[in-house]
Amino acid sequence: MTLTPLDELFLYSGITVLVALLLGRRLPAGWMVTILYGIQLLALMKMAPLGYGGEPISSALTFEVMGQSLSWRFDALSWYFALITLGSALLSSWYACGEWEQRFRQSGGNLWLFHLAMTLNVFSMLILLASGDLLSLFIGWELVSWAGFLLMAMAGGVATKAAMRYITYAMAGAMAIFGGIALVYVSAGSLQYEAILTAASQMSTAHLWMLVILFGAGFGIKMGLMPFHLWQAPAYAETPGPGSAFLGAISSRMGLFAILLVLVKLFGIVNIDSLKIPFTLIDARDLLAWIAVFTIIFPTFTAMKQNDARQLLAWHGIGQGGYMLLGLVVADAMGAAGGLLHVFNHATYQAALFMAVTAVIHRTGTADLNKLGGLVVRMPLTFMVLLVGIIGLAGLPPMNGFVSKWLVYRSLLNEGMPLLFVAAVIGTLGTILSVYKLIHNIFLGQLRVEHDNVKEAPWSMMIPMLILTAIIFITGLLPGIPLAWVASVQQAVGLPVPDYTLGGVESASGSLDMIWVIGVLFAGFGIGALIFYFAGGRSKRVHQLDNYAGGHFLTADVRYQYSDNFYAGLMHLIGGWYRGSFLWLEQSVKSLVEFLSLGMQGLYRRANAEFYLLSTALFVIAWVVI
Amino acid sequence: MAPMELIIELILMPLVAFVVGMMMVLMMRRIAAKLQRRIGPPFFQPLYDIVKLHSKRTQVSHGLIHDIGIVMAMGGYIAAETLLPVPGMTGIAEKGGIITLLYLMMIPSLGLALGVGQCANPNGSIGIARALTAMLAYDIPLVIVIFGVAYAAGTTNLVDIIAVQQAGGFETWGAVQMPVLAIAGLIAMHASLGKQPFEIYIAPAEIATGPMVEMSGKYLGGLFVMQCFQLYTTSVLYVSLFLGGGTTWFDFLLKSFLVLAIPVSIAYLFPRYRTEDLLRLMWKWPVMLGLIGVAFVL
Repeated sequence: MTLTPLDELFLYSGITVLVALLLGRRLPAGWMVTILYGIQLLALMKMAPLGYGGEPISSALTFEVMGQSLSWRFDALSWYFALITLGSALLSSWYACGEWEQRFRQSGGNLWLFHLAMTLNVFSMLILLASGDLLSLFIGWELVSWAGFLLMAMAGGVATKAAMRYITYAMAGAMAIFGGIALVYVSAGSLQYEAILTAASQMSTAHLWMLVILFGAGFGIKMGLMPFHLWQAPAYAETPGPGSAFLGAISSRMGLFAILLVLVKLFGIVNIDSLKIPFTLIDARDLLAWIAVFTIIFPTFTAMKQNDARQLLAWHGIGQGGYMLLGLVVADAMGAAGGLLHVFNHATYQAALFMAVTAVIHRTGTADLNKLGGLVVRMPLTFMVLLVGIIGLAGLPPMNGFVSKWLVYRSLLNEGMPLLFVAAVIGTLGTILSVYKLIHNIFLGQLRVEHDNVKEAPWSMMIPMLILTAIIFITGLLPGIPLAWVASVQQAVGLPVPDYTLGGVESASGSLDMIWVIGVLFAGFGIGALIFYFAGGRSKRVHQLDNYAGGHFLTADVRYQYSDNFYAGLMHLIGGWYRGSFLWLEQSVKSLVEFLSLGMQGLYRRANAEFYLLSTALFVIAWVVI
Repeated sequence: MAPMELIIELILMPLVAFVVGMMMVLMMRRIAAKLQRRIGPPFFQPLYDIVKLHSKRTQVSHGLIHDIGIVMAMGGYIAAETLLPVPGMTGIAEKGGIITLLYLMMIPSLGLALGVGQCANPNGSIGIARALTAMLAYDIPLVIVIFGVAYAAGTTNLVDIIAVQQAGGFETWGAVQMPVLAIAGLIAMHASLGKQPFEIYIAPAEIATGPMVEMSGKYLGGLFVMQCFQLYTTSVLYVSLFLGGGTTWFDFLLKSFLVLAIPVSIAYLFPRYRTEDLLRLMWKWPVMLGLIGVAFVL
């Protein structure tokens, strides 16, 4: 048996898990694991032609289970997601090495479990991404769910509670997917992709509807789509720092990967488009688009109200998933490219943001937005990382998030969808408000007395953050680099491909060239700086307490900072709209289940057990005989 | 286009914007003076102000981000001007388009927000919180309007949007073709200028001029320059979307000044709205008008 490049990747990934398992208690384990992620990334690079339209690579490994053959292979779609997975794993793991690790261990954290959970996550994600049929997809899906649970639950306490909530949702999703797979098997007679592809065009409407609902709900839970979004923010936020950077970057995108594979590639977006909802003007595709838009808006405005930096970021992670789905559902060349590109872009800035916030926690011990402030003078580089990250998250030029969102906006404009367009922009505006609060409350405003001796984040944490910062900027300047990979993904799943260039996209109805836009922007900054520094008088640095206070004198013990209820005026108007309806819904489902189980329990305990046994036996016999 | 020609355009466009912007500030002050039965400032007063502020001896800095914020506030607008076509010059308008312009125009606000943040004065932070809320208020009707115009023209390229309007003379102007959108756009534009009754984030008597509370000397001078650019950008954008842009410099400038005169005249007749009232107003009337306008276009 010869090893294909894919088998090599699996092999290295497996070795990484083993190293973490056996040697994880020794101190250099973090570095070993990080180097092994690097080797995995190199193995992935051997398959780089996949990112430029190369032929799929199969694994030599195949199984035969109950007449179903299980196989694994990599195509452009798998390669693209694997690149993001390994990249974020490498950088998060690197970030964890050194000071963070020591602190984590000192504060009673289980480092062995952390590395093991991370390596297992990566390994299972690679297996999922390589799945060659629906059965191997399901196996990979389950592995990813449980590996994610391990990482989320390891911090104990609140984290375990959040992880339990996650796994409850994930299991419900797995049930839906399993139901969907069974339904596919009944109609197509096989779980191979080719067989499903031919069967999909002949499926009845009712059948297709069932499949869209089952798979959409199942995969949507992982993505945190409305109304299944409640689990995600607490679960990600409570994971140990580098773990939340990794999870926030890629974990929930596995849901998007599966949606792409099953709903877009196998069933075809055109088939889904033909599913009309009776008595309304919308079809299944519009429904998905609206779910995507609500997933953008509600979590974004929930994020705005958070007072914990990690919760705020985690809520935004859910909202940004909406943009990806929205672009894919519009499914024209630009929209699909924007949705897919956003997966990469989001991974870069979300990881950088979680890392920056973790660095702040490392130095100050808190992520409470009401207990920080003014740290820019003590941690300037971390400030810069967070600034670049939030510009990316808010989708403003010159960072990469702008390009992917621009593509999504353009597709909505081209297709004439004003309400979706406006909703997408509302999400962006809400994000700007929310991320300003984040950076203001941590880094700007008054420096607290107790933070006077805070030092910059250590280099072991800083270097991965700076690498991510560079990626965020460079892929904003030259979006053509990731767009080439995105284009081959689009080809692989059968979507139209936009006319991309190194600096953006060409289109008769309005192009984008980021090289020019960013060039002019920095030229503008340069001229602004010339005017400011050379045309004006010399400025004098003053102490932060040398400040206007309505005639009073400020002293170090006076807290002179605005942080709580930051958007008071906005909340006067929309504050009453936060009703926690989804929490209420979740609670009522929970109560219903509790009530039913209580009823069942009561019935079982109170009644005569022998009578039940007898009647069941009789029933079975009667059923067999008749 | 020859590279040399393009570079000259890229230099000229912000320069023209700055000069015209200063004249717009002058017009604004003269209108205010007329309404308040004063004489008003002399012609070169905006220039005097900028020079004065930059050459003051007291220049208080609260740190590097305070400085960078001002640089970003000016630089963002300087860059934005090259995306805004004027008669005879298109700059890089075809390489960005209107969505890029809209987002580039948020960079100065972000820069200002960062700079004010480092001043460590809650008055400033409250002002910024209000200013960002105001942005959330007026940008929603504004994007509806932009969607309508771009969809009707079939492009996001501002050069083409202007060309479409100029194709049939007055008849094909955006304001004639889409009057409802034009009204919605005017209201949103007024709010985006941050003039009365929408100047809640400055509110001198309440939060000590908000974002400007710790600004002195060239910091205030930078904001003055930013205001020149802001007035110019807003009115020229409106002219490009609804009034057919300009064929000659004369009608281009005439239209721009006239458009700006409307909100400025209204501004000095009104007191100010509270933040939530601003949101309520913006989300109700211009959004409704905008959606009706888009419905006509679709």
